[in-house]
Amino acid sequence: MQRFLAILAFYKPFVVWSFIVTAIIGFFNPHLVPAIITKLFLTVFAWYFVSETSNRRKLTFYKNLGISPLKLFSAMFIVDCILTIGFLIIFKEFT
Amino acid sequence: MIFELDNVELYFKNKRILNGIYLKAETGKVTAILGINGCGKSSLLNIAFGNLKPKYMLIRLDNKPLLKPLYKTKLVKYLSQYNFIPNGMKLSLVFNLYNIDWDNFIKDFDSFSEYKHARFRGLSGGERRLVETYIILKAKSEIVILDEPFSHLAPLHIERVKQLITEEKEQKIIIISDHMYRHIIDSSDTIYLLQNGTTKKIEQLTELEDYKYLSEESL
Repeated sequence: MQRFLAILAFYKPFVVWSFIVTAIIGFFNPHLVPAIITKLFLTVFAWYFVSETSNRRKLTFYKNLGISPLKLFSAMFIVDCILTIGFLIIFKEFT
Repeated sequence: MIFELDNVELYFKNKRILNGIYLKAETGKVTAILGINGCGKSSLLNIAFGNLKPKYMLIRLDNKPLLKPLYKTKLVKYLSQYNFIPNGMKLSLVFNLYNIDWDNFIKDFDSFSEYKHARFRGLSGGERRLVETYIILKAKSEIVILDEPFSHLAPLHIERVKQLITEEKEQKIIIISDHMYRHIIDSSDTIYLLQNGTTKKIEQLTELEDYKYLSEESL
């Protein structure tokens, strides 16, 4: 539970950006597969960005909890996908 | 538990930083690494933790080779030279995630009592360092790696951190590095000097002068 909370804390700064991207996807092409592929691409980009800048220092916080970058970004992707799918389903109901 | 770091070779581009490193640390002892600026102390600690991948390295835990980064074993906590706690995180959440009792912390450092719901960025540099050092020392682990734990700390806090190190070493392996050599000498049981990319175990403190780490009559 502690580790999941830690992953959510890592995801928190990305939530708003993720929501904006989901809203754009929902507006132009509200299908699940392209949305998930887009989110996968953005997660890989976020991983690259964090690893190649001074932000990688923050990964030490999660490594101290035994969470590797692979686990961290995979879990973040799954949480993000769940939110994206939920949002798109609701979005489709109203359009 | 016995932790051994052996045969480390680290290059940055073509420049050799570390070669022929050997370091042994065990539960109940504080093992210190001393060395001048840029000699590779922090790189060595990063390698031990698993943050930095060298060309060669062997870690043994109780004589058994470890084939994955040490942090993946969840046996280790690492205080890095830089602040590792995310700036926007509240202290209450940090203590919760690392399973550390806030009230015990306040007993030791009562000036922090108002900071329970403060964000990490709201603390001064010295306060941040103290919180990080406390968390790393007190969190559940078998091995503690401390890179410059005394930097930015007030003298009173340094004394308390030294006491905490003495308390925690009973159940943990503690590996420490800092430029405040007097505090290191006070706190440690074994000292290695990192010089010219290799480690030398210091048997007598006067060797620190012989190897020109300290000037004559410094001790």
